[in-house]
Amino acid sequence: MTAVIQTQKLSKWYGNVLGLSDVTLQIEPGITGLLGPNGAGKSTFLKLITGQIKPNIGKVSINGQRVWNNYSLFSQVGFCPEQDSFYEEMTGWQFVTNLLKLHHFRPDEIENKAEKALEIVELSNDKDRVIRSYSRGMRQRLKFAQAIAHDPNIIILDEPLNGLDPLGRRKIIRLIKEYKSEGRTIVVSSHVLPEIEAMTKKIILIHQGKIFAQGDIHYIRDLIETHPHIVSIKCSHPRLLAEKFIHQDFVSKVYFDPKKNALLVETNNRDTFFALLPSLFVENKIDVEEITSPDDNLQAVFDYLIGK
Amino acid sequence: MRSVKDVISFFFVLTKKVRKTKIFFFLSFLPVFMAFIVKFSQIFSLSRNIEGIYIFNNMIMAFYMQFLILILALFYGTSVSSEELEGKTLTYLTTRPVSKSAIIIGKYISYTVLTIIMTTLGVVFSFLVLNLNDLHELYLYKILLRDVAVLGLGLMCYTAFFTFVGTILKRSIMFGLIFSFGWENVIQYFPGSTQKFTIVHYLKSLLPSSSTGRFSFLLFRLEPSSTGIAIFMLVLISTVFLALACLLFTFKEYILED
Repeated sequence: MTAVIQTQKLSKWYGNVLGLSDVTLQIEPGITGLLGPNGAGKSTFLKLITGQIKPNIGKVSINGQRVWNNYSLFSQVGFCPEQDSFYEEMTGWQFVTNLLKLHHFRPDEIENKAEKALEIVELSNDKDRVIRSYSRGMRQRLKFAQAIAHDPNIIILDEPLNGLDPLGRRKIIRLIKEYKSEGRTIVVSSHVLPEIEAMTKKIILIHQGKIFAQGDIHYIRDLIETHPHIVSIKCSHPRLLAEKFIHQDFVSKVYFDPKKNALLVETNNRDTFFALLPSLFVENKIDVEEITSPDDNLQAVFDYLIGK
Repeated sequence: MRSVKDVISFFFVLTKKVRKTKIFFFLSFLPVFMAFIVKFSQIFSLSRNIEGIYIFNNMIMAFYMQFLILILALFYGTSVSSEELEGKTLTYLTTRPVSKSAIIIGKYISYTVLTIIMTTLGVVFSFLVLNLNDLHELYLYKILLRDVAVLGLGLMCYTAFFTFVGTILKRSIMFGLIFSFGWENVIQYFPGSTQKFTIVHYLKSLLPSSSTGRFSFLLFRLEPSSTGIAIFMLVLISTVFLALACLLFTFKEYILED
């Protein structure tokens, strides 16, 4: 398959701070997930491939054309930025239609495309409200709408699921998958592994400005599986639950957090642990108040992998 | 050309709605309120009436020429690029098939037109109120037209200059205030050719050389340029600074801070 987005030895510094270092990539049609903890360089990479910033070293091209100051390229690119910034005094409708005007569509085309995009993100009923009055989720959906309204072949999404409720997330994920089936190229960034996992198997792991790993999600999953995982459980009988866990091979440590009044369980097989958990609650008639994973974030995984 | 037209329509819609525009509309109408007060005091006072056109001329010189058009051009001109950077909305414009020059020119035109409308409305209403008794005098309308044209040229020129300043400097407002109320207000009174390094010199060259008003000292100039030269210079300054702003905005890298 031909690469749509290509980078060669791409590097970017912000003064003395390294943003991205020596990134050579080829992104083909389909969904590519860009995964990394906050500050890893994901946004820098997306800004470089959308021509918002210039590389210090290296080249970036879309369909073989340079990106920086090549504005004609953007008729086929849609970009959803991470920052929550808008022309606050505009209504949702004005925002989308005015941005569509910059694509030089006819007035009737603008109306049709704006209506379609706002309908897709379920903002049709609120399109005449000023953006300032929108909730966080609505603002996020509006950003998505402006990125897809002109029907681009290449869609670049920087943390598109931030601030969305579970239903909103599912809807956007479904949409992204639909775009993939239409043969478009989609690049999605996130710092949440399950989000990326729900969209694609093709991922790029980025950390401290460098490509840490790339390929199939199963490879990354295998790496993560071996990472000891701590789960915090607040329930009615923590000591009884601790007793049940202590006999399991996949549990390496069980201890209590007196401050939070929680049971902490360290496991090296997260999937088996979570598969067993509901049955333990039911069989022992334990009421659950809260289950959290203090180290269930990508940074912890990266720290573990790098340390390894 | 089409890109510029689309950018103009985008920002003309937006700018009409922002709070800044409402505040500046109010500011440009302050002389109208003043004119009403003056007119009422003339009607109810027994003292000798001062000619309306005399007060109008002083108002144009003291308020519009030396203050309002500078403030409007400063705040709108610098915001052509700075509001996109500070509001982090630049991304929405630069990921469209429009050149960066079209963004600058389109925003410049929409802001200049808007500020000209604001100023013209204030000037026309002040004129009508102050000259209520002499509205049949045709020569007064010539003065009105001339003043509106000079203020329009002033806005065109200053806004282009401040658009350039906004693309090059981060703290453009501070520099603009120093330029407007320092350089422009001081250098214009220097003898010789030094005064020709100000924009206001060319604007004042388009106004009559003598004034009998209380603020006649503000019109003081040693060597007024001819009308042709003054108009040429104002158009040249506008074109040069706008071209520089486009060039800089195209090639400069703006990093939106997270």
